Formats: sequence, C-alpha cells, structure tokens
Amino acid sequence: MSGRTEGGAVERRLRRLALVTPALVILPTPAFAHASDRGHVLLLPTGYYVAGGAFAVAVSFLVLALLPPDALDRFWRRRLPLFTFGDAPRQIISLLSFAGFAILVAAGLFGSRDPLSNPLPLVIWTLLWVGLALLQGLLGDLWSWLNPWYGPWRLAIRLIGRRGDETLQSRLPAWLGCWPAVILFFAFAWFELIDPAPDDPTRLAWAAGLYWLLSFAGMLVFGYPDWSRRGEFLTIFFAMVGRFALLERKEDERSNKGRLSLCWPGAKLLDATPLPSSGIAFLLLALSSVSFDGLSRTFFWLGWFGVNPLEFPGRTAVIGIGSLGLDLTFVLLAAAFMAAIGLGQRLAGSPHSLGHAAGLLVWSIVPIALAYHFAHYLTVLLVDGQYAVAALSDPFALGWNLFGTAGMEIEAGVIAGAGSAWWLWNLQAGVIIAGHMLAVLVAHGLAWRLHPVPARTALSQLPLTVLMIAYTVFGLWLLATPTVG
Amino acid sequence: MADKNGFFDLSKTNLTRRTALKGLAAGAGLAVAPGFVRYSQAQSSAPIKIGFQSHRTGIGAAYGRWYEKTTAAAIKAINDAGGINGRPVEVIIEDDGTDPGRGAEVVGKFATQHKTDIVFGTLFSHVVIGSAPAAGEAKMPYFVVSEGHHVASTKLNRYVFQPGITDVKSQIQSMAPWIAANAGKKVTQIFPDFAFGYDHRDYLPPALKAQGAEVIAQIAIPPTESSFTKYFPQIPAETEVIYHVMVGPAVLTFVKELGEFYGSNRPQLFGFIDSLEATDINSPGLEFLDGSHFWEGSPRYAQPDDSAAQKAYRAAVGIDDNGAAVGDPKDVSTAAHMFGCWETLYVVKKAMEDAGYKGPEDRAKLVEATEALTEFAEGPEHPQGPKTFNGKIHQCFGIQNISKVEGGRLNVVHKTKIEDGLYEPEGDYTTQPL
Repeated sequence: MSGRTEGGAVERRLRRLALVTPALVILPTPAFAHASDRGHVLLLPTGYYVAGGAFAVAVSFLVLALLPPDALDRFWRRRLPLFTFGDAPRQIISLLSFAGFAILVAAGLFGSRDPLSNPLPLVIWTLLWVGLALLQGLLGDLWSWLNPWYGPWRLAIRLIGRRGDETLQSRLPAWLGCWPAVILFFAFAWFELIDPAPDDPTRLAWAAGLYWLLSFAGMLVFGYPDWSRRGEFLTIFFAMVGRFALLERKEDERSNKGRLSLCWPGAKLLDATPLPSSGIAFLLLALSSVSFDGLSRTFFWLGWFGVNPLEFPGRTAVIGIGSLGLDLTFVLLAAAFMAAIGLGQRLAGSPHSLGHAAGLLVWSIVPIALAYHFAHYLTVLLVDGQYAVAALSDPFALGWNLFGTAGMEIEAGVIAGAGSAWWLWNLQAGVIIAGHMLAVLVAHGLAWRLHPVPARTALSQLPLTVLMIAYTVFGLWLLATPTVG
Repeated sequence: MADKNGFFDLSKTNLTRRTALKGLAAGAGLAVAPGFVRYSQAQSSAPIKIGFQSHRTGIGAAYGRWYEKTTAAAIKAINDAGGINGRPVEVIIEDDGTDPGRGAEVVGKFATQHKTDIVFGTLFSHVVIGSAPAAGEAKMPYFVVSEGHHVASTKLNRYVFQPGITDVKSQIQSMAPWIAANAGKKVTQIFPDFAFGYDHRDYLPPALKAQGAEVIAQIAIPPTESSFTKYFPQIPAETEVIYHVMVGPAVLTFVKELGEFYGSNRPQLFGFIDSLEATDINSPGLEFLDGSHFWEGSPRYAQPDDSAAQKAYRAAVGIDDNGAAVGDPKDVSTAAHMFGCWETLYVVKKAMEDAGYKGPEDRAKLVEATEALTEFAEGPEHPQGPKTFNGKIHQCFGIQNISKVEGGRLNVVHKTKIEDGLYEPEGDYTTQPL
C-alpha cells in the first residue's frame, strides 16, 4: 500500500516531529477550529430524539412480540413481479467498468494532486464507498454487474483456455471461510480511517491498483466465484447490503432469465442462510468500523487520550490510538452481540448452537450498518459528490470538459447553517431510528425460524433488542455530540 | 491576443479559473493545456510554479476551501495581467490534511518532486511550525498566511515569510486603545485553555495597561467543554467588558448560555471573529451578540465606504455583500483571513520581479528581495489596506477592523492605525545564512 509519498516517510516524520515538538510547546498556536455545523446541532433538543429513538425501538419489539409471527412472515414474503432480463450484458458492463477503473487509477497517478480535483479519491471514497453502498441497499446487487473483475476474468480464462473455471468448485479449504475477506476488509478500514493520507491521489492509485491485481490473481488461482465470495471484501460487503434492497432478482424458470420483483425492505434477509464465524465477523466489522469513524472524531474520544480537539494534531499523530480504537470497537461490538445472542438462546432454551443462532441473527445488523453508512456519510456525499461530478469532466487536469461539468460551482452551503443542520439532523436521526426498528423486525423474523413458538421467539430476542436500543442511543449520540471538524 | 505589453492575455483564452488552479498534473501538466501553449510561444520561459500547501481535508477544510478560492482568483488576476516577469503562474495543490506531519512531507514533495519555485498558503499554525524546518532544509521560500506570531517570533527560519496577513500579537495589541476608550476599563477575558487562548491571555493585559485599562479576571475554559454556565459566576461583578475568544463547535452554545446568564443587562462584549468565521452571524443562538463588537482582519460584509479595490477583490473571489459565496448564500466565507492569500501572492510577484527571479537557482535572491520590501500601498494588490513590512522578522503590519453587530450584519465602526500594532522585533532572520 505504499505510494511514492512514503518511502521512509514515517521515520522522517518522527524525526521532524521530535525537532518540532519543543517549538510547539514554546510558541503560542492560533487555531481556527471552525464553529462548524455540529455547533447548530448542539443547540437542537437532541436529547428528546435519543429518548424517542430508544422508545420507538423498544415499542417495535413489543408490537412484534404481540403479532402472530406467521402473519408477519406471510406479509413480508409478498413480491410484486416486474420484468425479466438476462445476464448477457454483464461481461460487457464489467469490462467497461474495468476500463473506467483503469482510467481512474491513471488519473490518480498522473492527474491533479488535489484530492478534490482528482476523480480517483472522489470516486472511490464518495461515489463507490458511500453512493454505491447506499444504492445497493436500495436497489440490490448492482455490484455484481459493475465490479471491475468479472469481465476481465472471463476474458482471461478464455484466453488461457481455462473455460472450465467458470463452473469450478471451490479450491479454497472450507475452514478458511471468508477470513481472507475479513482481513482485507480490516486493512481497507484501516487505510480509510487511520492512514494519514487515504485521499492522496497517488497513494490511493497504488493502493487501489494493487488491490485490483491481488484480487484478480486470487480469482485466477481460486476461481472468480470462490474468491469473490470469500476473498474480495467489496463484493461481500455489497452483496450483504444488497440483501436489504427493495428489489429482488431471481431466476425465472420459464425464460431462464432473472426476474426482477419489488419486495419489502429487508425481506430478502429472511431467506438468508446462517453465516459462518468469518461472515459474522465481517458484518460486525462493517458496522463497528463506521461506528468508530464517528467515535474517533468526538471530543469524548479525543479527550480520553488527552488530544485537544480544538487543536487537532492531524491523522499522523493519532495512528496509534486510531488503530487501538478500530480494534476495540470491533471487539466490544462482537462481544456484546455474541453475549446478547447467547443469553437469548439460553432464555429461550434453544436447541441451536450459538454459532448457528448468531450466524442467522447477524443478518439483522445489515439495516443498522446501512443506516450508519447513510447517516455518517450523508454530508460527504452531498458536498464531495459535487466535487466528483466536476472532477470526472477533466480527469487528468488537462482543461477537458467531457461532461460539461468541469467548471461547475461547488455549493458547499447545502450542508451549512442552522436550517441545513436541522433537516440533516432529522434525516440522519430518522434513518438511524428506522434502521434499528427494521433490525428488530428482521431479527424477529429470523428468530421465528429458530424458535417457531411465539413466546420463545420474543424471549430469545430480548437481549438483542436491548443491544439494539443501546446502539440506537449510541448512534444518535455520535451525531449529536461535539466533534472535530 | 497579446496585450500591449506583449504579454499573452489569458482572459481571452479558454483557461478557466478552475483549470488555472486545479493542480498541475504530475509529469504532463500545463505544457499541453491549450491556454499555456501560446504563453510559452510569447515568452521563452516556463511557468512559475507555486506549491500550494492546502488544508483540503482535516480540521482546516472549511478554511482551506476559501483559501483555495481566493488563491484561484488571485492567480487568475495575475495571469490575466501578464503573469510574473512575463511568465504564467501555475499552482500545484497538495493536501496536507491540516496535519503537521504531512505538512513537512508536502513541503518535501514540492521541493524534490514538483520542483516548485516557492511553497505558499498554509493557515494552521501547527502545520506551519511542523513544515518550516522542511522548508529551511530544502532552502524553499515558504510564504504562509497563518496569522500566528510564530514567524515574527523569529523562532522559525529565514525561508519562512508572512507578508500578507498580520500576526495575532499585533492584532490583539491594536485592539487595546479602542477597547479602553470605547468599551470599558475593566476587562474579563474568557478563552479556551490552550495555545490559541494563551495568545490573548498574554498579549492583551500589557496592551490594555498601556491604555490605562486592566484585565481583572482571566477565565480559561477546557477545550472539550460544551456547557459554560458554571463558569460565568467567576466573572467579577464590576466587569465592564467581556473579551471572549472561544472557538470550536460549542461557540454557539457559549453565546446562548452567556445570553441566558445576563439577560438584557450585560457588560460590553468584545470578541475575535475567529470564533464565528465561516458561520452566519444570524444563526439561532447568536442573538445575544447584537450590539457587541468583533475584530475582523478584512470585513465580512460589504461596507458603504469600500474602496474600488475592495469591491473588485470581493467580486473576483466571488463573495456577495454578506460575505457568502455568490449564488450560495449559506456558504459563508472566511473573509477575515482569506484576503491574506491574495495579498501574499502579490508580494511574491513583487519580490520575484525585484529579484529578476528566473528559477529555483534564484531562491536565495528571492528571500533577499522579499526582506528588502518595506511597504505595500492599499490598492488592487492590497485591498485590505496599506501595510508595512519588517524584513528582519518577515512579518507585515497593517490596519485592523473593529465591527459592530447591528441589524444582523457586521458594520465596521473603527479602523486601527498600523502603528497601533507595532512592537519591538524579537530577533532578526537576516543574520541567518542563506
């Protein structure tokens, strides 16, 4: 993951910081901590929202406990069929996507040095990681069409005469689960949240380019189906959030094409099979990493480590506590989740193993992870999304205007001021609360599969519901408390 | 398309403001950009490259955005008028993440990778302090727009300059005569308990004393505090002026709670606009500030007596009469500080012309030429006002504005004199070897 920005940079930095530290102590340091839009949120009655959110999640649990689960299940399984379409364009779309990706990596290496003018960081961090993740959550698995590996892989195995790989059975040992993807996802989260310069176009071009190559090699060696399900973390992440979507595509037996249907949000989660321990870890990491990103900016967290948030010393100075926090958040969430499932199983006198129950019920985390993703990245999407549209018109900073958007004025005011703070807060809080309510609903539906007796279903969900109420409070607090920047 | 001086006129080309500033593409760059081809035909020399150490991300991003806009406008104006020494000017943006560690790295990249002529534009003091040794090491002229006293303290090095914005010591000192004469003689200071607050804690009392006034209490608030009512009983009853310089997201809460504490019967309030830079003065919670006064480097709101130069500057940068982005009224600018980018670039231009600057081999000559500058007249190049420059401490001195919050806007009620902000030099950079 090293771009040319590095090369002993850490050592040099440490030496320089050692030289600089006395000066920092001696010299007064004017800071310009911006009053920021969080300041407006601090004046809103956020406490009521926190209490209301916790109440709403608790009530949804009680209502569900009183409803006959099979009625709910029948309702949830309704589909509204739309139309069918085949897979034929998938390879072409993926090849186009690969070409676009290659151009973006080239732009990262040779285009503007400014992360808000170079399209690579804007596309990766804003359009892909935020925009596409949310679209997946709404529309379903777009990524299986858009990913930049499928097309090149099909092409490659035909060229090297290994067409049999398309139907290849797994070459990876079963015990490995999707642990390779968990490790790579952790590395990704570290790069995004802790690395000093994930927005640096050159550094990101190297990271993204090398990751593409690594994954492509994995797909050639182990087969596309296997590696994309067990090693390539983006595909796994997107497939997981796509399970929440309002659209479902299933094989149509008559036409041999995929039939698209409308479904209720989260309905596809009810058909999910239990995840192995690596899958549980992956989903919990998806939620814990976004949660930590929020937490790491709070005055509370920084104050804990004696970092002055008004004079935030920059990402290079908090690598250690950031790495610790990223791990700690994951461990705490995983421990709380497993404890809640274990306790619930015990309360219900469950015959199922803890791993089986947890592997099934962890799917209820998906709506929460999506809600966090939305709430946490909403402002980034609104502003950096505009920068992305402008940058795509001139990817190499050569004065092009491919889409007529190169000179567009960026309206940063869309997230500024008390009025914006009010509607942003309401939107974010609403989505966080709704996400947790849906999670309770999904968990209830899944628990019914484990315990078909209604009283046991409810009892088994009690500890998990308490955890979800706590996470609602935590999520709203993250959006309401003073933060850096 | 060359103008009467034989310079290529960029205003008639398709080089937009954005392309002028988007950051030179590594390697390829503007040699193939349509606007610059003819420049190189008109003049034999390559563009002057300015490395812009920019707070594009991190805690300073809100300021960084406006520093970028102002810089883009100034570069366009300079290029439209023929560039520097007949050469076009290019800006290469590198993001420092508002991070001192990365700041030093970025200066190194400008020196070795981009081979820029100078490095420019840093705002946050800790980034300046973190980057200055790298600039000195690379013998890279480093023009900051930071407002900190670190340059003038002469504790950095000979390559660091702050010619486009006054330093905080000078700003604080020049407020004292007006406060003592107009607001009151007994002053209580409320400031955040870290370096930023300590500037005000240390520089204000002697300045007030010299004016026959005094600081009667100093209340330091922990930086992570978000509720302030418990500190207000510490304000002595005889306080005539509360001097406040709170910063960060809790500023609105601070003002609101101060208002609730005092009601309509309050002492005079005096603050630094740093507290509310880029924040709408009419935000809910700030009602209590009506009638209070603020320091402003350059006024946020258009004033009735604005000079033609000030009007032209505001139009070029793209801020409306309320100091917000034209067409985006909620995007309030950092008007009090960002003019420093504009003025610094014109100082660089003047110094490069004085030095007959040709390329990186002339960097030492550029340092000496900058040190030889003594004053900058008010006008299109210095729209904020006239300034003097002390080459020994690499710091400019200028006028300050005191503005009153009235009817939902900031009206300038007093402009200080340059002399109000002068102090004894604390050292002499010119004795250091180049």
